[in-house]
Amino acid sequence: MTSPSVTMPPGRARMSPRKRARYSRVVQYGVLVVIVVAVVMGTDWSNMREQVFNLEAVQKMASDVPYAFVNTVKYTASAFAVALALGLVLALMKLSSVRLYRIVATGYVEFFRGVPALLVVLAFAYIVPVAFQVRFSSVTVTIALALGMVSAAYLAETLRAGLQAVPKGQVEAARSLGMTSGQTMRSVVIPQAFRMVLPPVTNEIVLLTKDTSLIYVMGLAVPDYDLTRLARYTLNNVAVGGLTAFVVVGIAYLMITIPLSALTRWLERKTGSKGHV
Amino acid sequence: MSAVVEISGLRKSFGEREVLKGIDLAVAQGEVVCVIGPSGSGKSTLLRCVNLLEQPTGGAVSVLGVEVTDPDVDIDRVRTHVGMVFQQFNLFPHRTVLENCTMAQRKVLRRGASEAEEVARRNLEQVGLADRADSHPAQLSGGQQQRVAIARALSMDPALMLFDEPTSALDPELVGDVLSVMRDLAEAGMTMIVVTHEMAFAREVADRVVFMDDGQIVEQGSPDHVIGNPGEERTRTFLARVLDPTHHHDA
Repeated sequence: MTSPSVTMPPGRARMSPRKRARYSRVVQYGVLVVIVVAVVMGTDWSNMREQVFNLEAVQKMASDVPYAFVNTVKYTASAFAVALALGLVLALMKLSSVRLYRIVATGYVEFFRGVPALLVVLAFAYIVPVAFQVRFSSVTVTIALALGMVSAAYLAETLRAGLQAVPKGQVEAARSLGMTSGQTMRSVVIPQAFRMVLPPVTNEIVLLTKDTSLIYVMGLAVPDYDLTRLARYTLNNVAVGGLTAFVVVGIAYLMITIPLSALTRWLERKTGSKGHV
Repeated sequence: MSAVVEISGLRKSFGEREVLKGIDLAVAQGEVVCVIGPSGSGKSTLLRCVNLLEQPTGGAVSVLGVEVTDPDVDIDRVRTHVGMVFQQFNLFPHRTVLENCTMAQRKVLRRGASEAEEVARRNLEQVGLADRADSHPAQLSGGQQQRVAIARALSMDPALMLFDEPTSALDPELVGDVLSVMRDLAEAGMTMIVVTHEMAFAREVADRVVFMDDGQIVEQGSPDHVIGNPGEERTRTFLARVLDPTHHHDA
């Protein structure tokens, strides 16, 4: 028991951990190279250049891309405004002491999370106007309401989790200073929850951006085209290389979503990791 | 001298467990009462029943002549006059030190920006942190945060201060600064109820010490009596553990 000597366990000699790590890395790079070569070799490049990377087609649609880009951003922003406002109301309803509010909010979330967004957009385009005898003043209003209501269901859950993650002591401190529960919510809880929900909320905006493509079911006039509708239009109206339009709008989508992620990271840094620093 | 706090027959249960089993206690204007006792004895719950952070299950609590156990009481208005300091400080991390001290003044007392700031700076000065007004809580040590929490409570011009184990979360070397601020406050005539494990502080500053165990007040009186020469066996056992923790005492 007191002997200082240690006997190594029996077994075959193995590679040292350092050598094993190097070997594993070589294998991983090898797999990657094989895949890239297979894809490049398997592609019909001359056909691709004509159909998918056709510069002539790019020139033809170039003048239309800016307004379609602006439309997509506009639809996304207005739908998000609706989603955020409604989502916050739903989150507060879920935390309400009134049981009926909790039931209504839960029912709402379950319904709009479980139904395809496409159906909701169709409903707002064709059913709601008939049912309530309303005419939405613009496509933007329709899409903002339809997508906003779907997105609100997802945001409600995210925001509720964020509000509940603020420590109970924060509420107690505010209430013990005489602040009402409303003042406590607005000045203490919501600002702190905001930081925590920033990443999942950004995720929701990215999803919304892509969901605006569902607007195609509404039957749009050309000036109301979003990026995806423009790509389909281009596909049908150029002789060759129509598929190029999808590459162009794909890049345009990334030009919206990637800066968004960068903005979130910046906001997160700005607000610090532990509250403020 | 009128009573600032009057508690009678106070009971509080969490589910099946009864934490307060009938407490009677009155605190007079300008009096400093230290509540001591083993953990789980109900001291913090008692304190939290005074400003209704916990809803009592029975009995009556009246603060500054207002029956806070009345279901129709405007508790927000009563709390405006009752400052509270927590074990975990609970400063607002998204606001600066100054903003921590002005927020409730602005929103609750409807003071103007300049008046609120003036009051806040005066109280930060009093706790020795005038130079940290623009810092965020995360940039301060625990002791500094707790002193800001005291300044925040004082900025509401309270008539009564509640301290819930204000030094229990602090590193030992930071305890002194917080206690000396509290001592100054007591000397200035503030009515205080302090739940604490700092026996030296209780002995020196308290007008009255209350020993609680198992949801009841076992013994109360002057510090010299309760801490120096306790009459009850339970008090003696507790004090022996607290004052001399490494020695084993046979009963």
